[in-house]
Amino acid sequence: MTVTDAARMAPVSPASLADRARPLPDGTPRETLFGVESLRVSYSGVPALEGVSLEIYRNRVTAFIGPSGCGKSTFIRCFNRMNDLIPTARVEGHISYHGVDLYGPEVDPVEVRKRIGMVFQKPNPFPKSIYDNVAFGPRVLRMGGELDERVEQALRRAALWDEVKDRLKERALSLSGGQQQRLCIARCLAVEPDVILMDEPASALDPISTTAIEDLMHELKESYTIVIVTHNMQQAARVADMTAFFSVKVSDDGKRRTGILVEYDETPTIFTKPADQRTEDYVTGRFG
Amino acid sequence: MRLTLQEDLDGLEAALQEEGELVLRSLRGALNAVVDGDTELADEVIAFDDEVDERYYAIEEGIQSLLARQTPVAADLRLVLAVLHDNLHLERMADYCVTIAKLTKLVEGIAQDSTLLEGFEEMGRRLEEMIRVALDSFAARNLEQAESLVHLDDLVDRANRRVVGHVLDLGGDPERREWGLRMIIVSRCLERIGDHAVDIGEQTAYLVTGEFREFTDASHPGPPGTAPREL
Repeated sequence: MTVTDAARMAPVSPASLADRARPLPDGTPRETLFGVESLRVSYSGVPALEGVSLEIYRNRVTAFIGPSGCGKSTFIRCFNRMNDLIPTARVEGHISYHGVDLYGPEVDPVEVRKRIGMVFQKPNPFPKSIYDNVAFGPRVLRMGGELDERVEQALRRAALWDEVKDRLKERALSLSGGQQQRLCIARCLAVEPDVILMDEPASALDPISTTAIEDLMHELKESYTIVIVTHNMQQAARVADMTAFFSVKVSDDGKRRTGILVEYDETPTIFTKPADQRTEDYVTGRFG
Repeated sequence: MRLTLQEDLDGLEAALQEEGELVLRSLRGALNAVVDGDTELADEVIAFDDEVDERYYAIEEGIQSLLARQTPVAADLRLVLAVLHDNLHLERMADYCVTIAKLTKLVEGIAQDSTLLEGFEEMGRRLEEMIRVALDSFAARNLEQAESLVHLDDLVDRANRRVVGHVLDLGGDPERREWGLRMIIVSRCLERIGDHAVDIGEQTAYLVTGEFREFTDASHPGPPGTAPREL
């Protein structure tokens, strides 16, 4: 081949090499699922989080990171209206979901939580059989179709089927911590959600179970949108496509601490060249 | 504050600067050897390369360990990657010095041309300045100073291009021709050392800005007023 063979040289032009080296985005256009504008959450009139505006993209994993008290758990709970359950909580601003106001008067919070499932830090299976845990949601919601099939599909998607298919009638609490967490994910998937919110889903798990959950997130984002809160920055770096860094703003008199969104970008950017010094200080461990 | 990480990063940077000082000594030795036809000094330069290699391996191992244990991110990660590249650039510079020393031994006893050797001396002085600028701008995270390496390199490139003309002027005597051909390789080695100094400057720019870019691109014309980099 000669250098003048333009057609054959074209694929290795500097531009295409640079493009190939770029891990994100994966080529598919970003589709906004949640639009958050000027969100403020307060408890008993005291703001826990304010001034948050960002977009969550469909079929992406979005991670919220930040120090304790930065409001990241408060924030993730806004996406399925979990804060509605706290009488003193007040959510102001705007969150749209598929373009619809999530907090609009016509929106049913139960329907919201069906579509936007949540997995918590500590696995919390019901004290029932493995099967009944997964079947619980479809039964309560009177979802049609073959229940056995629905349970099997949810367990398969949660990468748990092979481990439990012969013991579906056994107590869910007999499973290991990592299996219990995947069971909770299966329980969440059984009601066919659109979004899975995960609040520190692996912080109570050993490294092997953590890897299983992280691998699962990678599989699940093909079909679902995942939002995760994590204390573990390396976990965010490993699993997330987008990362939002939250921090704490302390009032002049030092009495009030409010969570704020500092920076939101593609994960490689956050971990290689963050734009904000506060993000840099946090991710490099020079915080505080 | 991650004290271990900071200590490791400081250690890597210090080792890189130390390696740079060794390269400067190697370059000075190689230049003196070729200009004076000093084969003993050439042998010393060849042996001295082990010192550079030792630093090179120590930095490589330090980076491997740091990546495995500290998982650096953001500016820390950029620093580690820049040191990784700079380490290789410095080691390559020292290898070119060894090549110059070996060529010095190959032309032992052959009559030299003083004009050409004066040209090498001038290139050498410029290269020493370039290596210092490369090391200092890296240490100071000084982007402007790092970018000044392009201009300094242009002067080395021009000197290199003049060498071929000088060698053609040496005439038809076979011994003189052999000497001249070997000196073209010496010149080429010096010119490449300058390129590696520019590459270190590019790493400094990456460290500071987070964007990697070549200061000049050999296969594309540079901005007005700049000469293309030598091959």
